[in-house]
Amino acid sequence: MKPSRPADPYWLLLPTFVFLFVFFFYPLGMLIEHSLFSWDLLTPARYVGLANYRSLVRSGELWQTFTTTLSISSAVVLGSMAAGLALALLLDRPGRFAAFVRGAVFSAYVVSWVSVGLLFLWLLDADAGIFTGFWRNLHGRAPRWLGDPALAPWAVAAVSVWKITGYTLVIFLAGLQDVPQSILEAAELDGASPAKRFASVTWPLLRPTTLFIATTSLIASFQLFDVVRVMTQGGPVRSTTVFVYAIYEQLFLDLRVGRASAEAVVFFGILLLLTGVQFWFFRSEESA
Amino acid sequence: MIARREFLRGCAAVGGGLLDACAGDTAPKGRTLVRLWFSYGGTNREVLEDLVGRFNRGQARDYVQAVYQGDYFEGLAKLRTAIAARCAPVLSHVVGEVVPYLARAGVLEPLADYPDLRGLDLLPELGQERSWVGGGTQPLCALPFNRSTPIAYLNQDLFARAGLHAPRDWNDLRAVARRLTERREGGRFGFGCPINWWFWVALVAQAGGSIVAADGRISLGDEAGVEALGLWQELVRDGFMKPPPGRDYNAWEQCNQDFLSGRVAMIWSSTAFLKYLEAHARFKVLAAPLPAGIRRAVPTGGTFWIVLRSAPSAEKAAAVRFLRFMHAPEQVITWSTRTGYIPVTRAAVSQLEAQGYYAAHPNDRVALDQLSVAEPWPWSVDLFRIQREIVQPRLESAVIEHRDARAVLTEARALALEPT
Repeated sequence: MKPSRPADPYWLLLPTFVFLFVFFFYPLGMLIEHSLFSWDLLTPARYVGLANYRSLVRSGELWQTFTTTLSISSAVVLGSMAAGLALALLLDRPGRFAAFVRGAVFSAYVVSWVSVGLLFLWLLDADAGIFTGFWRNLHGRAPRWLGDPALAPWAVAAVSVWKITGYTLVIFLAGLQDVPQSILEAAELDGASPAKRFASVTWPLLRPTTLFIATTSLIASFQLFDVVRVMTQGGPVRSTTVFVYAIYEQLFLDLRVGRASAEAVVFFGILLLLTGVQFWFFRSEESA
Repeated sequence: MIARREFLRGCAAVGGGLLDACAGDTAPKGRTLVRLWFSYGGTNREVLEDLVGRFNRGQARDYVQAVYQGDYFEGLAKLRTAIAARCAPVLSHVVGEVVPYLARAGVLEPLADYPDLRGLDLLPELGQERSWVGGGTQPLCALPFNRSTPIAYLNQDLFARAGLHAPRDWNDLRAVARRLTERREGGRFGFGCPINWWFWVALVAQAGGSIVAADGRISLGDEAGVEALGLWQELVRDGFMKPPPGRDYNAWEQCNQDFLSGRVAMIWSSTAFLKYLEAHARFKVLAAPLPAGIRRAVPTGGTFWIVLRSAPSAEKAAAVRFLRFMHAPEQVITWSTRTGYIPVTRAAVSQLEAQGYYAAHPNDRVALDQLSVAEPWPWSVDLFRIQREIVQPRLESAVIEHRDARAVLTEARALALEPT
């Protein structure tokens, strides 16, 4: 059957297409173009081909930024998922106290990243911070949480875990609501222990939820910026220079538009890859 | 391509938080607006705002609107972005290292032809003429206002109790840092200094080197650079020096706090913090010149006023009138005596000496006297890039991660020579 108004679907798609073109495809094209130039905003741009990419690779900056981002992101994803799941299992029950704790944990998620960064900057202060004092009482000597390149990335990751655990908690709670009580009761009647019920019933049924949380929080953690800007400014010794901060530094502090663009293109590619992996996982889940 | 670059400039303005600045400010009716972007925090900001208020009240022709833009580096980033977005203020101030680059980019207004700026009677070490090698041969585009040198701040109570004097040379520095270090929990470091380019340049010069060799080669001090870095590494490794955490001015602030809280007995910092430290210390603060290596030497620091070429002529003329006002002895004296920065004109220094100010405040004299050993900066367009992107991160790496100083500086030199 031939549609009477064949152009209508395209008219309906037009607003979305215009929006995507103006705010996504056009800037993306500009980004790729600028990554091929050396430009500081003040003097004329000079075409350099792939030199910006080569320079990022040869200086080791790209690899260092990638591994730093990946390390922090992995810690954030695993930490927030483990904490969120544990809290969801503990708090998936009726009662005022459980509701209060759920609210309390989630409240961290709605606080701004800058506030969280400032709060932990004080808590982790190498001399007067509460955590430092606590550690010193236990071990006699406290580490420099934000001053030691070996510790600073994990400190930033821990702060991020604290911040986003509320989000993973809520999603896991929603996932737990979907686990049929009848199956759990049947397993209990069959004599399965709580651990066995979790391993054989709850956890397999939570897989889609877990995958969703893993991919969304991985992408979100790849975009960490505020907490790094406030707490470490990418240091010490670039140990917390994650992708977004590196791009900010190249563009706004060093005014290297080409280098920043090249880094952003690579970053875009990585996020695209992660999104592809996410789709692939969900597809295979659906077909399984 | 041009249109797209214009678009990006606009985006940069958004990213740099410049929309408010570009939105169009207004002056009281009949007065010329002078938009001034500044980077002084705390007391220094208050003093500047007082002086701006004094200017605005003292005449009815011009009106200066001073807007705080973050620390030097944040302010510079915003300024450069604003220049690109064509909404820069007419007046700002920048660190000396970036002036050659901005001058080459053609964004600075030449100031020599403004009659108001003739006969300012500047201290030559602080003006363009001697702040850079060959600065006098370049068109005048930068005027000094908040100029400084690094100096040592001593907790005089601790020094007196230990019977110590301010270190006169590097060996003295090692000995004093060792003597004043207390190795116990909650103890004290003898010495503290931000792991920062400025102080490293001071050490390089004291070790007999310079960042750019006489033939124009970027040498990063060669052997002197290694010695300078080696001194820090040695003091940190032996536990006598605390490298404060944080980057840029976060580390400076941390260093000041360590000193004020008594966790560090002696620090190196800018003379800019003199009044702040004196006002907040619960002990007597003694300022002292930096010790000598094989010779005495310090770089100068702080910032220079610049007028942006892109501004309308009327605004530039008004900005120049404001600069003339700021260089009058009364303002220079107010600024330097309330902040600790060095007075930049001979007339101001003479008046302070005649009033007996330096006899009553010997700490204020230290930086001024150090000008006799001040080293000029090279007039190099790459200097700021070398500082920010190449040397500074590697200084941190060498000191905190104990990397070999020679290898670090060899790597830095190679990168400095790469085309941008």
